[in-house]
Amino acid sequence: MPKQDTPQQVLAGLTSKNQFTKTGTTICGVICKNGVVLGADTRSTAGDIVMDKNCEKIHYIAPNIYCCGAGTAADTEYTTELISSQCKLHRYRTDRDTRVATAKTMLTRHLFQYQGHVSAALVLGGVDVLGPHLHTIYPHGSTDTLPFVAMGSGSLAAISMLEQGDADHQGWRPNMEVEEAVDLVKRAIHAGIFNDMGSGSNVDICVITKDEAGKIAADYRRNTDIANPRKYRRDVPYKLPATRLVEVNGDMDM
Amino acid sequence: MSGFDSDRYSFSLTTFSPSGKLGQIDHALAAVNNGSTSIGIKSHDGIVLVTERKLKSALIDKDSIKKVQILADNVGCVYSGIGADSAVLVRSGRKNGEVYRRQFGENPGVDTVAKDLTAKMQSYTQSGGVRPFGCSLLVGGVDPAGPSLWQVDPSGSSIRWKATAIGKNSRTCKTFLEKRVTPDLSLDDAVKIALLSLKEVFDGLLKAEHCEVGIISTEDGLFRKMTDAEVTEQLDGLE
Repeated sequence: MPKQDTPQQVLAGLTSKNQFTKTGTTICGVICKNGVVLGADTRSTAGDIVMDKNCEKIHYIAPNIYCCGAGTAADTEYTTELISSQCKLHRYRTDRDTRVATAKTMLTRHLFQYQGHVSAALVLGGVDVLGPHLHTIYPHGSTDTLPFVAMGSGSLAAISMLEQGDADHQGWRPNMEVEEAVDLVKRAIHAGIFNDMGSGSNVDICVITKDEAGKIAADYRRNTDIANPRKYRRDVPYKLPATRLVEVNGDMDM
Repeated sequence: MSGFDSDRYSFSLTTFSPSGKLGQIDHALAAVNNGSTSIGIKSHDGIVLVTERKLKSALIDKDSIKKVQILADNVGCVYSGIGADSAVLVRSGRKNGEVYRRQFGENPGVDTVAKDLTAKMQSYTQSGGVRPFGCSLLVGGVDPAGPSLWQVDPSGSSIRWKATAIGKNSRTCKTFLEKRVTPDLSLDDAVKIALLSLKEVFDGLLKAEHCEVGIISTEDGLFRKMTDAEVTEQLDGLE
């Protein structure tokens, strides 16, 4: 446990913690009919400060495999990029689509090698020739294989939505339709966004499915739900003569 | 490969003759010229790579033979010469492409992919206990500078071509290409000319099973191989 700061220190804005950028995070995944749905919030924090209000926590591994990452932002980013690159070379070598088990093995071998010092807690989901797969991967290298999972500081809020649901909605059940599953994941991430300080802003979703013909497609829905829109936005207040206004950011909370 | 694991092979096997020739490299080029014909053409909107796929026996499973290979999203290659040697280069080319991408955050240019291959090929002419690679590669791809086609040789030299042929009958093919290739070719035209050129030197009736075609267009910048059905369609459309 890091050394506790005294109130005086906190007030003075000084802390002894080494505050590297972490993803407080709520990430989750569910298996549905013909595929998997992954979801994540978009807040990244360094201690008590929000570093990025709209970061991307769903990482690309392969055209048919995506991975949500919680923990140290740099660790999740680098690890997933490394394994994604290795999977690409593997695809060239074998002339086949990457299997989720392959990505899972590469990730766990890497994390185990670093004995937990690579602080990456992942939700790995994808569809391959053997069907849809969903795993959690812990920083020390262990894994779980489950029909629905959640990781990160907001995982308790999310898992309650997935496990139990609420007064108006059911939790996870087998063979859900894709859009039902997307709704469930959105609600789970919402639970994290609103009830966990480490999670916030918007919801990202990634849907990976296989159709009847056997074709696998991934639908990365960035900012599918803008749960925390910026309500008031000032217009550009003055026109500088020499500058040309190219674009104003939309409703994104940036 | 520095080959210093044994003193017996700490010297290069490729040495100069008194007339200034490197015999082993010339012999490697002879191996290339014994290999089946490969053709590459650059159009203003893409690259086409074509090779002859002659099976030594009808019992060989044709789909297991892959001569046109992908090196990166935006780069592909084909070889003439010793296939086993080309497999080593293809593997190395693919890895170097990923290493570059991880290090610099962007896809390497086609010239970089080609030059990395030549660096490896040259090192095998000047290292202990190894022989040069017995194949030449035609490396074609699209990068921000546009489409480009490179030939890499066992000597380690690289040449950028508008259109070329390597392997058996390459001279006849090149003569044919010289007449037909123009600067304003489209990728479609280039595919037809490449197949016509192969048809010229092919022994018998050219069908999809006898060739492999790889293309990359500036439209999507992704290298892919044509399916047998597509190749048949192209062959049927030739004059």
